[in-house]
Amino acid sequence: MNNTPRLMMKITSVIFIAFAMSSYLIDPPIKNGKYKFPYKDAKLTNRQAAAHLLSRFTYGAKPGQVDEVVKMGLENWVIQQLNASLSDDSLTERLKKYDAINFTNKQVNQYFPQRPKLIRMAIDEGFIDKDSVGISGKKEYKDKLEEYMKQKGFRPESELFRQFINQKIIRSIYTNNQLQEVMTDFWFNHFNVSITKNQCALYIPAYERDVIRPNVFGSFQNILLATAKSPAMLLYLDNFSSSGSNQAFDGIINKRLVQQQTKKGKQSQGLNENYAREIMELHTMGVDGGYTQSDVTQAARVLTGWTIYPFTDYGAAAGMKKLLEKFPEEKLAERGFVHEGDFLFTINRHDDDEKIVLGKKFTEGGGYNEGVELLSMLAHHQSTAKFISKKLAVRFVNDNPPQSLIDKMAKTFLEKDGDIKEVLLTMVAAPEFWSIDALREKTKAPFELAISSIRSLDATVELPFQLNNWITKMGQKLYFYQAPTGYPDKAQYWINTGSLLNRMNFGLALASQRIPGIKFDLAALNNHHEPESANDALRTYSKLLMPERNVESTIQRLTPLLTAPDIGKKVNAAADQSSNNNTNDNFIQMNNEEGMMEATNNNALKEKINRKNKPQSKDIVYTASFGNNSMLSQVVGIIIGSPEYQRR
Amino acid sequence: MNTRRGFLKGAGLALFGLGIGGVPTFIANAAASFKNTSLYKKNKILICIFQRGAMDGLMAVTPFTDQFLKAARPTIFMEAGNGKPLIDLDGRFGLHPAMKSFEHLFKSKQMAIVHGIGSPNNSRSHFDAQDYMESGTPFNKGTNSGWLNRAVGLLGHDATPFCAVSLTNSLPRSFYGDNPAVAINNLQDFKIQTKGNATNSNTVSKSFEDLYDQTSNNLLKDTGKESFDAMKMLQSADTKNYKPSNGAVYPASGLGNSLKQLAQLIKMDVGLEVGFAEHGGWDTHFNQGTEMGTFARNAKDLSDSITAFWTDLGQLQDDVVIMSMTEFGRTVKQNGTNGTDHGRGSCNFIIGNNVNGGIVHGIVKPLSIENLEDKRDLAVTTDFRAVFSEVAQQHLLIKDNSILFPDWTGAKIGVMKS
Repeated sequence: MNNTPRLMMKITSVIFIAFAMSSYLIDPPIKNGKYKFPYKDAKLTNRQAAAHLLSRFTYGAKPGQVDEVVKMGLENWVIQQLNASLSDDSLTERLKKYDAINFTNKQVNQYFPQRPKLIRMAIDEGFIDKDSVGISGKKEYKDKLEEYMKQKGFRPESELFRQFINQKIIRSIYTNNQLQEVMTDFWFNHFNVSITKNQCALYIPAYERDVIRPNVFGSFQNILLATAKSPAMLLYLDNFSSSGSNQAFDGIINKRLVQQQTKKGKQSQGLNENYAREIMELHTMGVDGGYTQSDVTQAARVLTGWTIYPFTDYGAAAGMKKLLEKFPEEKLAERGFVHEGDFLFTINRHDDDEKIVLGKKFTEGGGYNEGVELLSMLAHHQSTAKFISKKLAVRFVNDNPPQSLIDKMAKTFLEKDGDIKEVLLTMVAAPEFWSIDALREKTKAPFELAISSIRSLDATVELPFQLNNWITKMGQKLYFYQAPTGYPDKAQYWINTGSLLNRMNFGLALASQRIPGIKFDLAALNNHHEPESANDALRTYSKLLMPERNVESTIQRLTPLLTAPDIGKKVNAAADQSSNNNTNDNFIQMNNEEGMMEATNNNALKEKINRKNKPQSKDIVYTASFGNNSMLSQVVGIIIGSPEYQRR
Repeated sequence: MNTRRGFLKGAGLALFGLGIGGVPTFIANAAASFKNTSLYKKNKILICIFQRGAMDGLMAVTPFTDQFLKAARPTIFMEAGNGKPLIDLDGRFGLHPAMKSFEHLFKSKQMAIVHGIGSPNNSRSHFDAQDYMESGTPFNKGTNSGWLNRAVGLLGHDATPFCAVSLTNSLPRSFYGDNPAVAINNLQDFKIQTKGNATNSNTVSKSFEDLYDQTSNNLLKDTGKESFDAMKMLQSADTKNYKPSNGAVYPASGLGNSLKQLAQLIKMDVGLEVGFAEHGGWDTHFNQGTEMGTFARNAKDLSDSITAFWTDLGQLQDDVVIMSMTEFGRTVKQNGTNGTDHGRGSCNFIIGNNVNGGIVHGIVKPLSIENLEDKRDLAVTTDFRAVFSEVAQQHLLIKDNSILFPDWTGAKIGVMKS
């Protein structure tokens, strides 16, 4: 008896340490106690409040989840989500087949050479003749290149992005730590980088995995610094090439480094302000944050020499790499170089003179540390507190959040050293979060629509890229948003004529199981209770898919259609007629269109997909009073495509 | 012209004919919602084609008398005249033989060429240069809108759902922004897709239409209405069996297909004012070729697609201007693999009955080393914003250049008739 508490404490502390090691080196887990969410004041029931909370802090409520949250207590649930330490075994299992998502940048560089590099390597190694490149229809050339890739163990770039995108979809659907994933999406979009820029594309998977996700709940300064030093951001906003002169630095290292760096570097010389401008305009203070053009230029000078440690022994970077490897790390460090993982601070390319940014003087000779100091100053700036708070409120409350809420969050931001958890807690503990102006006021982005419908239906997704094709069609090409602003977070951006019809079509395709590799059981959703009538089915499924929403108007509008004489029969007849013909064509067409589909060569899987799309009598629970499954799935499709379901 | 009303009526009848009972309310609603005045006003249309990858302007439109160029390109230089491949345009510039279909447009003065066009920002990165050209702010990456989206906002009237259409699978950077713009990969996708036959489609369609019509959210309600209006217009036009006019034959290529669909939208009179299409494959580092080869194939596709589009438009040509653009040009000197690397100035094509055609505009100095930018590239002598803003001002009647190109105060170069 006596031993128990002590043992418990020991175990707890061991668990705590392990847990802290894994994800919270910086921040201790938050404990509950002081927070009480004021939803009762807004006249919301526990269930209504839970549904609202789930619509903001997850990618959509799963069946039964509203009750779970109510049972657990909303406050406890939020704390649990903020600590992001729920086990995710089934997710881990599902992600196993995507090996490349765990690659380091170096491995990615090694195994996924981009095409121009691949061709040059193949020429250099005498595998293909340079005169044959680009000559169309030369099967021989293509075969040789393929053979070369095979021999070298190289894989096409598209494969990396396919795995990466699949990973995002699978993770968002299945992780128990939903808020962490929502926040990963938020910060990625805030610190946007884009696959459309070839130079940085390969490093984006590691960027999300190592730079964004581990830092989503930490202090703002940490995530800012981590992005600043990441290859993806350094390449996307060109800071890797920004350089100044360093008169104080001379000697042999300098001479040879400069030679090496200028040999190939037609564009690599000189100051590049892109990153410095965006860090102020988009990442921290906001466009009206109160900085000048001079601040931008001076900040750019502070950040000169921040670049990437060369990955490859091939091409332009190889010489640099060899040279760096010649000098022992200690010696480089002694001279003021900084090498941390993929990041390299090259002091010889760092502008060493005095600078003044936002009135603060950076005395000469500041080296790497003055950059860290600059970022810290920006991270703690008043304008940053407001800018970040507003952006979070837009994401979680509504497109035009009240100033009173932003002020509360900004105050916490400043008082708590930019602690994102605390800022989120301030937000969710504020009455504004629960007000009528917040409920259902956000419009789902295409990704959110897709993931929330999968979660609503409790569906199993075997071919996530099929979902990606639909998300693209609905107007959101994941990781391809070109501008550093990231996707605008407002309804007007997502809702337009083209995209809206695609949302409806997505609902119909999904519900009628026309999207290959996605399966679910509508009858099981309702515990195999057979709806007693068409009306009953409509009511039941509206409530299942949109818990705690007022679905009366949806039901009213749809009821006449369902009760029209013979309509069910007509629909079913039509559906049966065409379903067998369509699936196969559909699959092949998508395959060709997107070019990045999985399992192109996997006939067994293809076969499985086709089989799955044909009616499988044993799986279908006929609801006699309501016609068969086709009619039910059509109703569900209409619900998913309905205006109410587009909102959260 | 009352084509739009006609189409809607047609669509209504078709639905009625299929019969799910009674006249659907949305037909009545749609019919009642016509704003007659704006409907019949003909607007001008600008079609932009982005040639991604950076077209070698010196090969498309070659200053063939330039001995420096000839020396710099031992295996890829072509000559004009007397059995030589290039099509002589004016005694100094020669059109690539694969662009033969452009010859007539140029000689009939419906086509203008601007040579030495490019960005003031000397980035030779595809991404950066495209980004700057499409945002229209060559020194600012954070601009959240594209220049064509801003153009839509400056048209001076409400935009219809099809005011700005990009034939791509996602919105191009040029279209980013607050004004309505859509990306459509294929017009035939623009309908409610259900399992089963037309009756079922109509049932589902009507369900959605009712739901969106009744929703309390104005954005969803209005956009829903627009979507269904647009869908009906497209359905009635039988996009699947489209027959181009005047014997126009589109190449069976991505660009040909995009332009064919833009032509359909124009003929349907659905309010298109800014169209966008892309053409890839111009990054010719390897074996660029001469009369045949990579470049020639692309050049033929570009010119044949544009010419087919122009022919197809027939009498509607007066409303339309087509403008091509590319992020930069390529090195004067050919590289070690019979191709060219990233350079600076390139050229572009502008087609319309109101262009100052039959002229190669801009400045191309002799390509001796001292005249080259960074001693290697055709110098940018015309800022792309000079040309884009002139076309927008003269053709789309956009007045406020300070919004369209915020940092641009330069002069027109006279590429349009004033």
